[in-house]
Amino acid sequence: MSLLESFKVALSSIWSHKIRSILTMLGIIIGVAAVIIIVAIGQGAKSKMTEELFSLEKNAVDLWYQPIPKEGEEESEMFWMEPELTSEDVDTLSQVPGVKAVIATNQGWGPMTYNDKQGDMEITGVGPEFFSARDIHIVEGRPINARDNDGRNRVVMIDTVARDKFFQGKDDIIGEIVELNGNPYKLIGVYESPIPEQYRYNESGEMLMPRGVISMMFGNLEIERLAIVADDPERISEIGRSAADTLTRAKKLEDGIYTVNDFSEYEQELDTVINIMTLVIGSIAGISLLVGGIGVMNIMLVSVTERTREIGLRKALGATRGRILLQFLIESMTLTSLGGMIGIGLATLGTIIVSNFAPISATVSPLIVIIGVGFSAFIGIIFGILPANKASKLSPIDALRYE
Amino acid sequence: MKLSKITKVYGNGALEVPVLHGIDLTIEDGEFIAIMGPSGSGKSTLMNIIGFLDTATSGTFELNNEEIGLVKDKKLAKLRNEHIGFVFQQFFLLPRHNALKNVESPLIYAGIPKRERIQRAKEMLDKVGLGDRMKHLPNQLSGGQKQRVAIARALVNNPSIVLADEPTGALDSKTSEQIMELMVQLNNEGRTVIIVTHEEEIAAYANRVITLKDGLITDDQRRNL
Repeated sequence: MSLLESFKVALSSIWSHKIRSILTMLGIIIGVAAVIIIVAIGQGAKSKMTEELFSLEKNAVDLWYQPIPKEGEEESEMFWMEPELTSEDVDTLSQVPGVKAVIATNQGWGPMTYNDKQGDMEITGVGPEFFSARDIHIVEGRPINARDNDGRNRVVMIDTVARDKFFQGKDDIIGEIVELNGNPYKLIGVYESPIPEQYRYNESGEMLMPRGVISMMFGNLEIERLAIVADDPERISEIGRSAADTLTRAKKLEDGIYTVNDFSEYEQELDTVINIMTLVIGSIAGISLLVGGIGVMNIMLVSVTERTREIGLRKALGATRGRILLQFLIESMTLTSLGGMIGIGLATLGTIIVSNFAPISATVSPLIVIIGVGFSAFIGIIFGILPANKASKLSPIDALRYE
Repeated sequence: MKLSKITKVYGNGALEVPVLHGIDLTIEDGEFIAIMGPSGSGKSTLMNIIGFLDTATSGTFELNNEEIGLVKDKKLAKLRNEHIGFVFQQFFLLPRHNALKNVESPLIYAGIPKRERIQRAKEMLDKVGLGDRMKHLPNQLSGGQKQRVAIARALVNNPSIVLADEPTGALDSKTSEQIMELMVQLNNEGRTVIIVTHEEEIAAYANRVITLKDGLITDDQRRNL
C-alpha cells in the first residue's frame, strides 16, 4: 500500500472521529502555538531592542575622549580639558582603512520663534558630508551644502517634528525666516526626524545648521564631536577602535585617549538574556507538547482496541505486520501534524494580535513553521510506536474473534 | 495441499491445551469440501492452519508440493493474500468503506496499481450480482448483499482456495441458498472451496465431507453430486 493511501485512510479515520481527534490534537495545538508564539515574541523583542539601542549608530560610531588619571589621582577629582578638534583630524581619520566618512558636528541650543510660536530647539551643526554619511531623508527643500558652511550662511533645516509644531497646515515653508536667539535665519529644508516617536523628548523638534554658523553665533568650536562611518557595518567596532587609536596617536595625547563605545558586547549580553528567557519559557511550552503526545498515545491505544477486528481482517486479507504498524504510525503522525499545522495557524494569529497591541513585531518565520510541523510529526511517530506495535502484533485469529 | 500429522497445542507449560491430535489430510485442486464437527472439535483451528492464519505446532504442510515450514509473519501474510480467499460468518466488511473499496482491499496489499484494482473489483462485484451497489456502504446493504461483497473480496486476487467459515450462519435460509449456489458456481469454475459448518444442509452442497471430533478426523466421505 502506498504511503499516500495510508495517509488517506488515516485522514478518513481521523475525520470519522472529529470531536475525539480535535480534543486529542488540542494538546499538540496548544503546545505548538505556545512554543511558536514565545519564540516569535522573543525574536521580535530582540530585534526591537537591538534596533532601538543601536539604530542611530548602525554603521556610525562616535569617538570619545577619555582622560587617563595620573598616578595617585582620583578620576572624580581630575581636571581635564578635551583636546581641540580640527579639520586636520578629520583628514587623518578619513585615511584610516575601513572608514567611509567622517562626520564632524557641534552643538547649539536656543529658543526659536516663528510668528507667535516659540519652542526650545536642539541644534546640531553639520557639514555637507553629514547628509551622505547619515541616512537623512529630506522631505522638503535642500540639504546644507559646502557653500553654506564656508560662507557662514545663516540657513537652517528643521525636522518634521518642528515643522508640525511651527508650521502646522502651511504648505510652502521653504524660504521662510525663523528667529533663533533673536537672530533671523532662512529655512532651506525639512528632514524626516530619525528619532523613533517614543524617544522624542524634545517636543519642539530638532534642527540642523552649518557648523561654521554655530561656531560663529554660539562661540563654540567648529568641531566638537567626531564620528566615523564604516564601509562595513559588521566591522564597525573594530574600525571604530582603529580610528580612535589613530586619532590618539596623531594628536600625540599623553593624559587621555580616544575611544569608542563597544556595542557588540552589549548586543551579545542582550542576546544571551533573551535567548535564556526564550529557552526557559519555550521549554515550559515544550512540556505541553509532551503532555499532548501522551494524549495522542492514549487515544491511539483506544483506536487500536476499537479496531481490533479491522486489524484482524486486514491481516487475513494479506496485510503484513509492517503494513499495520505503518498504518497506525501514519495515523498518529497525521493527527499530530494536523495539530501542529492548526497550532501554527493559531500562532500566526497570536503574533498578529501581539504585534498590534505591543510595540514588537513578532513574526512566525518559515523555519519555525517547518520545525513546528516536523516536530509535531516526530511526536506523532514517537507516541505512535507503542499503539502501532500493539496493533501489528495482534494475531489475526484473536483479532477476528474479538467482540 | 497436503497436511500430515498436524498437531496444534495452545498455551504452554501446565496450561497446555491440545486441540489437534495429528491430522492427515490431502486436498486436491477443485474440490468442494465441507468440514463438520461439533464446537470444540478443532475445525476452526484446522481452518486457521489451512488458511495460513495460524501455524501448526508439529507436522508438515505442503502447498503445491512445496513444504511450508515455520514461516514468518510476512510470508504468512503473502500466502494468505495470494492463495486464500476468506469468507466469514460476520462478513467483516470495513464499515467506512463502500463495497468497491472493500473488494479492492486485498489488491492493495498485493501491490496492484489503482486503475487495475478498481477494474478487477468492479468485475468481481458484477460477478456476484452487485454491479449496481458499488458505492453503497456496508450498512446500506442487506445480509446477503454483504456476504456477496465479502465473496467478491475473497475472489478478487484470484486465490486457488476459498475458505468460508460458517458463511451462511448469519443469513436466512433463502439467502443461504443463494450464497451456496454462488459457492457451487465458484467450484464449478475450478476453485477449491472449503466450508466450515455445522449445518447438514450446507454440507450437502459439498462433494467431500470431513468430520472432526476431539481433534481427529473421524469421517472423510466423498460423493459425486
